[in-house]
Amino acid sequence: MGFSDPTKDKAIEEQLVKDLQAGEMRSFEQLANLYQKKIYSLSFNLTRNATDSQDVTQEVLLILFRKGHTFQGKSAFSSWVYRITLNASYMKLRSRKREPSVSIDDLLPSFNKAGFQQEKIQDWSESTESLLFDNETREVIQKAVDLLPDKEKVVFILRDVEGLSTEKVGNILELTIPAVKSRLHRARLFLRKKLANYFGEYKTRKESK
Amino acid sequence: MICCKECIELLHDYLDGELNPEIEASLEEHFADCPPCIAFVNTYKSTTRLCKDTLKSNDIPDAVKSRLKEFVDKNKNT
Ligand SMILES: [Zn+2]
Repeated sequence: MGFSDPTKDKAIEEQLVKDLQAGEMRSFEQLANLYQKKIYSLSFNLTRNATDSQDVTQEVLLILFRKGHTFQGKSAFSSWVYRITLNASYMKLRSRKREPSVSIDDLLPSFNKAGFQQEKIQDWSESTESLLFDNETREVIQKAVDLLPDKEKVVFILRDVEGLSTEKVGNILELTIPAVKSRLHRARLFLRKKLANYFGEYKTRKESK
Repeated sequence: MICCKECIELLHDYLDGELNPEIEASLEEHFADCPPCIAFVNTYKSTTRLCKDTLKSNDIPDAVKSRLKEFVDKNKNT
C-alpha cells in the first residue's frame, strides 16, 4: 500500500470504487488491501481484542464485497467503510460485559468562582519522551482511552488517532462540526487529567529522589 | 482580562488557529501571566501526541493478515 500522494490515492480509490460498483471483482482485492489496515486498527482501538478485530475486518470486507455495487456515492466511500466498521465493532462490544465508563464531568478541570484554575497544574510535558515506549505507559494510555464514554471515544480515535479531519468525522458520525469539536475537547481534557495523574506522580517521584 | 476557564474552553480552537485575532491575543495575554495555564496547554498538547503515538500503530498481526488473505482469495473467486 505504498501510496503517499493524497490526490493520487483519491483517484485510485475512486477508480476502484467505480470498478466495484460495476461488479468488477479484481477491484475487491485491491480495496481490501487498501482498507484492511484502517478497518482493523479502528476496530482494535474500540474493542481492544485481536479476535474481535479480525472478525470485524472480515465482516466489513464481506459487506464491501457483497454490497459494494450498491454503494450510492452520496458520501465518500471511505466514510461508508468507517461507518460499517464502527457498527460492526459496536455489535462486538454489545455482546461483551463491559466496565461502566467513568463520568467525564468528574475529570474536567475545576475552577474557582473567578474562573481561575484551582488545582496545582504540573507541567510533565517534557518528561514523557523516555517513557513512551515503556509498556506500563502504553497500558496507562490505553486504559485511559478505554475509559472514555463511547461518544467521546469514537471522535477522539477518528480525529486524533486516525488523523481524519473534523469535517470527515462529522460526516461519518453525522454530527455538526461544533459537536465534533466539543466532544474531542472533552475527550482530550479527560485524557489529560488521567495522564496527569500518572506522569505528574512519576515526575514527583523522580524529583524527590 | 479573561479567566483560565474561558481560555481552556477555547483551547481546541486556539491550537487549531481558528480564533479571531482579538480573542487569540487576549488568550496569549492571559497565558503570559498564568503559569498554570501554560502547563495546562503543554500537557494538553502532549496528551494528544502521546495517545496518538501509542494507539496509531495497530499493525495487523501476521497470523491475522494471512487469514484475511485467505478470506479475500476465497471470496474473489466466487
Ligand atoms: Zn490561567
